[in-house]
Amino acid sequence: MIKGQGRAGYWLYLVPGAILLTVIIIVPLGWNVYLSFTKYRGIKPPEWNGLENWKELFHDAEFWASFQHSIVMVVAMVVLPTVFGLILASLLFDLVGRRFDGKIAGLLRAVYYLPQILPIAIAAIVVGWILRPEDGALNDLLDAVGLGGLQHNWLGSPDTALLSIGAVMVWIQIGYPVVVFMSALQRIDPQLYEAAELDGANWFQRFRAITLAGIRPEIFVVVLTCTVAALKVFGPVYALTRGGPGTSTTVPSYYSYTEFFTAQRVGYGATIATALTVVVLAVAIFFVRAQFRLVDEEAR
Amino acid sequence: MRQRRIVTGGALALAAALLVSACGGGSDSADSAEEINTSPTGDGQTLTVWTYEDETSAMGIAWKKAMEQFTEETGAQVDFQLKSFEQINASASQVLNSDSAPDILEYNKGNATSGLLSSQGLLTDLTPAVEAYGWADKLSESLQTTARYSEDGVMGSGNYYGIPNYGEYVQVYYNKDLFEKYGLEVPTTLDEFTAVLQKFKDEGITPLAESAQEYPLGQLLYQLALLDADRQWVTDYQTYTAPADFHDASWTRAANTLKEWVDKGFISKNSTGQKAQDAGDAFTAGTNPIFFSGSWWYGSFTTDAKFDWGTFLFPGAKLSPGSSGNLWVVPENSDAKDLAYKFIDITMSPEIQNLMGNSGGIPVAADESAITDEKSKELIKNFTTLTGQDGLAFYPDWPTPTFYGEINAALQELVNGTKSVDEVLTQLQTDYDKGVKEITG
Repeated sequence: MIKGQGRAGYWLYLVPGAILLTVIIIVPLGWNVYLSFTKYRGIKPPEWNGLENWKELFHDAEFWASFQHSIVMVVAMVVLPTVFGLILASLLFDLVGRRFDGKIAGLLRAVYYLPQILPIAIAAIVVGWILRPEDGALNDLLDAVGLGGLQHNWLGSPDTALLSIGAVMVWIQIGYPVVVFMSALQRIDPQLYEAAELDGANWFQRFRAITLAGIRPEIFVVVLTCTVAALKVFGPVYALTRGGPGTSTTVPSYYSYTEFFTAQRVGYGATIATALTVVVLAVAIFFVRAQFRLVDEEAR
Repeated sequence: MRQRRIVTGGALALAAALLVSACGGGSDSADSAEEINTSPTGDGQTLTVWTYEDETSAMGIAWKKAMEQFTEETGAQVDFQLKSFEQINASASQVLNSDSAPDILEYNKGNATSGLLSSQGLLTDLTPAVEAYGWADKLSESLQTTARYSEDGVMGSGNYYGIPNYGEYVQVYYNKDLFEKYGLEVPTTLDEFTAVLQKFKDEGITPLAESAQEYPLGQLLYQLALLDADRQWVTDYQTYTAPADFHDASWTRAANTLKEWVDKGFISKNSTGQKAQDAGDAFTAGTNPIFFSGSWWYGSFTTDAKFDWGTFLFPGAKLSPGSSGNLWVVPENSDAKDLAYKFIDITMSPEIQNLMGNSGGIPVAADESAITDEKSKELIKNFTTLTGQDGLAFYPDWPTPTFYGEINAALQELVNGTKSVDEVLTQLQTDYDKGVKEITG
């Protein structure tokens, strides 16, 4: 800062970010919203057709079904990983970290995080091999341990396809909350635990009163980011089932993709994408406000 | 070959008649055949070519040779870029609309791909070049179908927008060793074929390698429907000249047969969880002795299968899935069109076509006596038989851009039993009608 320039100079530092935000996020978003009111096949200029796409969307059973599948994804990518992540993180922090060695806890944490680093396309191909109905690893394993009766066409049956993808997503997601929660736990004063222990609180009571209360902000962040990710999930569905069998595993982003690139109904694809954006924004606003409310209550 | 000549002769007469009418249909005079320079010089120029065939495939080998010849003849350099199919498929419309378009590229045939691009004005009308070089008499009629598109981008009539230089079709691959082991002959009728399937099933073997996650099962359904269909039925279905009815005798029988084959265990229910590659692998592993699929498997079976295998056209079928291969198309933005036409002509020359045939491909204009490889001979012979009886029926998923995924989805429901035969046919009808409406407006 040069003296005498006042505060205007600070704005200079925002310019690069603002330019990138405009070019990469705001302009395409605006264009996408505009396209949702047009008939556009990607080549000739878009033709304005008002609310046609939106009307179609509201009567499109496949679109609503794809949102129902998103709910399963939310359970698989948010609820279960967060719950298991909390338990795992506090076990690693409490038991493994204290009774054994920090190194083991660190190693385990890295192992849990590994699926997060794997490119989804590669992970999905490997999972596809594991779940293959004929000579897939899972079915062969079941057979080998005498549970041949449980063999199943995992990704090819409507009753298990979505659940199989869900199970894979739990495995992929679990590392993220574990890492975030473990670093959050470092913040908590160990004396609190000691005091509680002296007062005769058991592990679960300590977990509820100290751990949960202490890392609430991180829980919010994890739930919010995972929910957004779950609503946008695309890769695993594309790589594992292409929305099948039938349409039992379509999710909104995959549906948007097929309309966009396969049917070349770009206008309608943009409508689905816009609707998804609205839902994601609503979820994000809801979470952020809830968090602020809690912070306010605590401050009082 | 002689049979093909007769067909092409008739096709040529028809094509010529249509060309006259097409040229009379208001194309500007600058496009007339005299304007095409059939011996362009390209010193200092570069022809940009995009393809997505594997370099070791028959097409890859033949085209590489064609590029060398092209440089010798014209003096122009070739800037060859190997793309992936997905890459070209997802971005063709955007790229061809820009100035980074290549001068010539390989592109998929059919209404949803080349048809769509031609209707949007992105592709050069090749009709004058077809006349100047005389390509039409090298292509049999059903091969020409996929080269020509109407104003709406529907194949089979109108101007030429692409030139195919190889063919493809779907046939039965069978494990000769296992046929011999159980004393089975190559079936010639559907009843005999069913008896073969039953025999394998009785021996505890699932006879058919199948995938319902991808294209194989859809092609089998279509083949079964084609058994009692005729050329007009195919034309109506593929080019919307009459409404397609999925509850007609052909489709109903096909779907019922498929359902029966699943119930009897000729097709595994696990096929709903299998990709095409899984089905191909099951055949090469010897797990399933019969695989009804495309000529594009030929090369890999030659190298991968450890047993003796052979091929035959589907028993009792006059029509089978198949078509020209992908097309050479010239973007409207190409700035070396004469050179591009010259390049196409070289890929159609006997030398290049023979090389393709001897490398395991199916040339459209080869000299049959020049094909020396035994297995290639069988492959080309079946194709010649099929084109000789005007039997290329294209593919079930061609009518609409989304029909591929929709057929797979519907058949997964059929195999899983989550929908009845009637419900599956109704579903197909709904999907088909919706897609066709999108195209014809």
